[in-house]
Amino acid sequence: MKIFLQTFGTAKKKFSNFLNSFFKKKRTRIGIYGPPNAGKTTLANRIARDWTGDAIGPVSEIPHETRRARKKEDIIISGANGSTVTMDIVDTPGVTTKIDYHEFLEFGMEKDEAIIRAREATEGVAEAMHWLREDIDGVIYMLDSTLDPFMQVNIMMIGIIESRNLPVIIVANKIDLPDAAPARIRSAFPQHPVVAISGLEGRNVEDLYETMLEYFG
Amino acid sequence: MPHKCTKCGREYKDGSTEILRGCASCGGKKFLYVKEEEINKDVLEEKSIEEIADESHEEVLEVVEPTVSKKREVEMYDRVETIRIVSPGSYELNLEKMAKSDERIVSVGKEGSYIIDLMSMAKEEPKKKRAKKR
Repeated sequence: MKIFLQTFGTAKKKFSNFLNSFFKKKRTRIGIYGPPNAGKTTLANRIARDWTGDAIGPVSEIPHETRRARKKEDIIISGANGSTVTMDIVDTPGVTTKIDYHEFLEFGMEKDEAIIRAREATEGVAEAMHWLREDIDGVIYMLDSTLDPFMQVNIMMIGIIESRNLPVIIVANKIDLPDAAPARIRSAFPQHPVVAISGLEGRNVEDLYETMLEYFG
Repeated sequence: MPHKCTKCGREYKDGSTEILRGCASCGGKKFLYVKEEEINKDVLEEKSIEEIADESHEEVLEVVEPTVSKKREVEMYDRVETIRIVSPGSYELNLEKMAKSDERIVSVGKEGSYIIDLMSMAKEEPKKKRAKKR
């Protein structure tokens, strides 16, 4: 009987794999959005490293390090109860309404380089918005929990995401810093799930993975 | 290990950033890693740096000119902004970009300072809407 169940189990698995190859569900494509320097690439790198062992892109303390959207495909996330979800993670450039090259000069950047960075960052915002319009099935919205969440760009972006009926998880990042106030973010967006993490240290990311399974699965 | 210019043999200290701009004496762009104790080998044995390079099998380092800052003024068709405020009351419109999409990016002053209208970017393309209606 036991042997029969085992063979039945493997046969069932094989059969479901066979079916999946024909009726493959479109993968969920999750965009990581948020203002510049919220830690989007740090989180994207952590997700990629935790589940595939790779990295997505370089990080920097100078805003607008990511100026092109980067995609990592086929990330399989599994939860404590054994459920899994396959998703593509898109790390997007920081979305903002104002970009000024003077900001980069403070980090010791040359003027020419800073002007080019400003232009590329502007194109990056347009690209991020383009992805949101066309190709995204769910959003992780990253916020720096040491900063005021009521910035115009955040309110506007959450509004845009809501108007497209996309599932959204708000991540209150940088809880490793002493002046982090994730509660402020929770009260700012009570209509959405908020997960407080430290992308840098990896604190509480398991909680985020569980929430991702719940909302994007 | 120090570097030597393959053209004139001028020595540069280990980790010198000078060579990134080319050799200060002859403007040469190729440099060879030389072992500290063999720094004068080329003179003592009357060999050229190229011959030394063949012997030591060290790779010749070639300095490449940075090309980024060459193109200073960006052409109109290349610009990211749809509207440029040159000075108060003086505007430049990028008609080609305006015709292509509804995206509105305003540039303030000469270059490198932008205001982005996110709402204009969140709109559905008009073409797509028509396709959906059908």
